[in-house]
Amino acid sequence: MILIFGGAFQGKLEYIMEKHGLEESQVFTCKSDKIEIDYSKKIIDNLEEFVYACTNEGIEAKEIILESMDKLKDKIVICDDISQGVVSLDKTERAWREMVGRTMLMLGKEAEEVIRVFCGLPDKIK
Amino acid sequence: MNYFISGGCKNGKSFHAQRVAKKMSEEKGLPLYYIATMIPIDNEDNIRINRHISERAGWGFKTIEQPLDILGCLDQIDNKGVILFDSVTALLMNEMFPVGREPKLDVAERIANELKEFCIRTDNTVFVSDYIYSDCNRFDDLTDKYREGLALLDKTLVKACDRVEEVAYGFTKVHK
Repeated sequence: MILIFGGAFQGKLEYIMEKHGLEESQVFTCKSDKIEIDYSKKIIDNLEEFVYACTNEGIEAKEIILESMDKLKDKIVICDDISQGVVSLDKTERAWREMVGRTMLMLGKEAEEVIRVFCGLPDKIK
Repeated sequence: MNYFISGGCKNGKSFHAQRVAKKMSEEKGLPLYYIATMIPIDNEDNIRINRHISERAGWGFKTIEQPLDILGCLDQIDNKGVILFDSVTALLMNEMFPVGREPKLDVAERIANELKEFCIRTDNTVFVSDYIYSDCNRFDDLTDKYREGLALLDKTLVKACDRVEEVAYGFTKVHK
């Protein structure tokens, strides 16, 4: 698994699609209102939205992903880094950030390669 | 060599950029300009601007006020001089949210093209921007449109500049 993270709008998806010559039809975009990942796609984008859906339902995202870890072996997972900025006053947003943190720590350990994208530029950190 | 410097807010980017610009001007014997982009709207802004002015005092900068239409400042200065452009963030804010008027949400692409041209016409510009993309808030559409617009300007400048640095509390990571 390749794990890509970075701030919002940093060009994470564009970078990895160009690097691996992938098309939009190979991308699954997670949605904030549905606990769903389509493991048949090569790229799983906006994982933070999947985690948001889990947060709303009170379900631990990490546990769901761990159950299907073998399906992630040859995948590219992209997640927004929401770890900076002030602590939110909103309870759901606080819980969301914590759950994204737990999920990313687990994925970071499992991934063979981890890349942070800064303003479109990749920085390989694992 | 054109520079792009970004990083979290209030962590020493402006001061670092000033030092980079000053050094370039001394090494190459070039005039030193400061492009001021901020439009003060309250006393808090005035205090911040006065603090920046006093921090720059004695550094040898000639200050040009250019809060909008950024290419306009190039008619007033030696384009081969050292130009400290602080900040891309304020420029987009001024253009997208004009005081007392409706927001103009589609300006980012035009400004990206202007910044590309700015890079072509100048050799020693230091651009300063703000990395505002890692909060955990579900922002409203206006704020997200602004963040998306600023990210477009940042990515455009990263491509157009020769050197890219990220500043975190005085520490610098060179990305390019």
